Amino acid sequence: MQSILAVDDSASMRQMVSFTLTGAGYNVVEAVDGQDAWEKSDRCDFDLVLTDQNMPRMDGIGLTKRLRATPRSCKTPILILTTESSEQMKLAGRGAGATGWLVKPFEPTRLIEAIRKLIG
Amino acid sequence: MSDTSSVGPRPNSGIDLSQFYQVFFEEARENLDRMERLLIGLDVDRADNEELNAIFRCAHSIKGGAATFGFADTAELTHQMETLLDKLRRRERAPTAAMVDVLLRSGDALRAQLARHQGAGGEAVDTAELLRDVRALVAGASPLAATQCASAAGPAEREEPVPAAAVPALRVLELRVGPLNRVSDADDLHALFKEIPDLGTLEPLDGGPAADGIRRFRITTTASDSDLLDLFTFHVAREQLVLLPLGPGDGVHTAVSPAPAPADAGYGYGYGLFDKAPGSPQIAMSMPARPLPQPAPVSAKPAARGADRSAAAAPETSTLRVAVEKVDQLINLVGELVITQAMLAQESLRLDPALHRQLTAGLADLERNTRDLQESVMSIRMIPMSIVFSRFPRMLRDLAAKLGKQVDFVTQGEATELDKGMVERITDPLTHLVRNSCDHGIELPAERLALGKPEQGTITLSASHRGGSIVIEVRDDGRGLSRDKLLKKAREKGIDAPDTLSDSEVWALIFAPGFSTADEVTDVSGRGVGMDVVKRNIGSLGGTVEIDSAEGRGMRVSVRLPLTLAIMDGMSIGVGDEVYIVPLSSVIESFQVQPGTIKSIGGSGRVVEVRNEFMPVLELEHVLAVPRSNRESAAAIVVVVEAEEGRVALLVDELLGQQQVVVKNLEANYRKVEGVSGATILGDGRVALILDVGSMVRRSRH
Repeated sequence: MQSILAVDDSASMRQMVSFTLTGAGYNVVEAVDGQDAWEKSDRCDFDLVLTDQNMPRMDGIGLTKRLRATPRSCKTPILILTTESSEQMKLAGRGAGATGWLVKPFEPTRLIEAIRKLIG
Repeated sequence: MSDTSSVGPRPNSGIDLSQFYQVFFEEARENLDRMERLLIGLDVDRADNEELNAIFRCAHSIKGGAATFGFADTAELTHQMETLLDKLRRRERAPTAAMVDVLLRSGDALRAQLARHQGAGGEAVDTAELLRDVRALVAGASPLAATQCASAAGPAEREEPVPAAAVPALRVLELRVGPLNRVSDADDLHALFKEIPDLGTLEPLDGGPAADGIRRFRITTTASDSDLLDLFTFHVAREQLVLLPLGPGDGVHTAVSPAPAPADAGYGYGYGLFDKAPGSPQIAMSMPARPLPQPAPVSAKPAARGADRSAAAAPETSTLRVAVEKVDQLINLVGELVITQAMLAQESLRLDPALHRQLTAGLADLERNTRDLQESVMSIRMIPMSIVFSRFPRMLRDLAAKLGKQVDFVTQGEATELDKGMVERITDPLTHLVRNSCDHGIELPAERLALGKPEQGTITLSASHRGGSIVIEVRDDGRGLSRDKLLKKAREKGIDAPDTLSDSEVWALIFAPGFSTADEVTDVSGRGVGMDVVKRNIGSLGGTVEIDSAEGRGMRVSVRLPLTLAIMDGMSIGVGDEVYIVPLSSVIESFQVQPGTIKSIGGSGRVVEVRNEFMPVLELEHVLAVPRSNRESAAAIVVVVEAEEGRVALLVDELLGQQQVVVKNLEANYRKVEGVSGATILGDGRVALILDVGSMVRRSRH
């Protein structure tokens, strides 16, 4: 079963993402912010990282940069989930090494669709 | 998000989002609390980036959830707040007190919206004015100006005073109207857009009236969904209107060219993959946000989630949430155990300690363990006073602003713990006292300066443990109480108030029913609920109130409360064959009556002289109708008890001792009995009634 690290500081969003992806057949590990995700990613491998952008302690961009700078996660698909769908944000995500972006709020099916494209 | 449809939570592809609502509501409330705390603590002249960012994040987080779970009104308001907060954290705007005000008011509106979504009912929250204010602030105007202009200009030009930068993004919507009875109804909508130049454009998406009577239009507008619907309902019933977002993007983008409009215009919430980005699959994909041909099967039950829960647990979960009933049940059971233990201890006194050494030792252990257990269980119900204190900064801030006063609020001893039931019931009286201090105590800034005081008044709320009680003090450095004014007022009210009264007796006058020291009743503290109610409420908790004041320097109100309502120190007294408990806190003294010191006055009334003071006497035997088998032994001991209304001498047969008693509610188990506040079970298993001293005193006055 493929593992997805879902990072969001909002418990309801985490719950919903987790529920959606679990239902679609993925194993989901939740993290409450970038720092938590960074620590969790150090302990095990994930097939994909889905991260919120604005979070306390470490944001999505910071997490992406760190993951990319680490050999074990330099090729892991990273989707940045954000309400700020500005070009600026997309550029920042791209610059940090994100694989793609997803606008919040999203349809659960849209989330699954995006993830299927990346990891099948 | 400014444009999620306001037709209610979005239909969703096979997933019932409502299962996440509860978490969202709790989370949103936590965010609102945090935002409020941060806003109140914000020093607008010295706001640091982290503070501004933290406030931004609160609004941002609520917005994300609200948009996801389809609460359009909440999403819309938080979106505007977020825009303003974003400008603040980017330093494009400097924070002002006006912004803090508007953001706090927005927070209140959000609370109301959430409560409504959660099923509390009520009218939809009208946020039009708030939205306008927030937008005005984003654009750099003052909210007041915007409001005034807008109300003067009328609804048609309500967006006008707001400069272009504040105008929300242009949005493309699909409007579905129908089924219409008259074809001409739709023409009225066209007319609306012609009459109101700034509203935007309305173009038909269909070739005229369809067979089903539904007409489809494309609307390009900057107005919010709720504003649009409000306008349309002049002509068409609300049930016949459906607004849907149209085209790609999430509405934050300015949709420059209206997207082509398929009849089944879905929700264009997109995603995209970066070309040649790390982690991409072989063929880079970009943005064809077509829905899946077959929605992924999603199980209705979160069956597979269990394994991930440990990873999902937030790091701060070192507390356990349990229902209050469970704790109360535990306390009740421990109470029973205490009684059983006391009964065993009493029985064991009859045994020969030499013969039953082990049993006696075991009983001693039992006693110690029971006491420890009781203390531990009681401590579960103890919660910190900060729960109560935390509501005051906001309240005082609003109140001070309303009164044109400057008040600094200081709290001390927030960690002091008090029984939960007590905390809930002390909140209202404390609120009243704090309001009083701000309203009547603290002077206006100019007045304070003239008196040589700092412009800003200080109200201090402190809590501390003293012995077996908790003392909560409300202090202010305001004008204090005026002895002369109080005496004058008391006489006007027909209260007997001689000049010889001591200061503390004069201060106590404000507890008289209907007494108010302000020259006129304000809508802040007045409202007919006076200090007498405060005192009565605190009295019903077994507490007392004391006032200390220095005219021109300030006032201090001290509230002393027992730590818990469930256990009480009592004095057991014997009347006939019955045993009663008098709360020890209300017992002043007791003594043997000398023959002849009790005198009859005016028929049935009897008084006793205690140190040159005459006090009414109540014979418990008659009051409680205790049968007396032995006529010889007459009650000969007086127990002087005090309640807020005064003192009374209770005539009893004997004093049996002092002990801690577990208070049982009589009303819940039987019914309310006049003169009795509760019951307890004695060590020997008998039930003893706990006397309601307040009602005894009142009875003696009649």
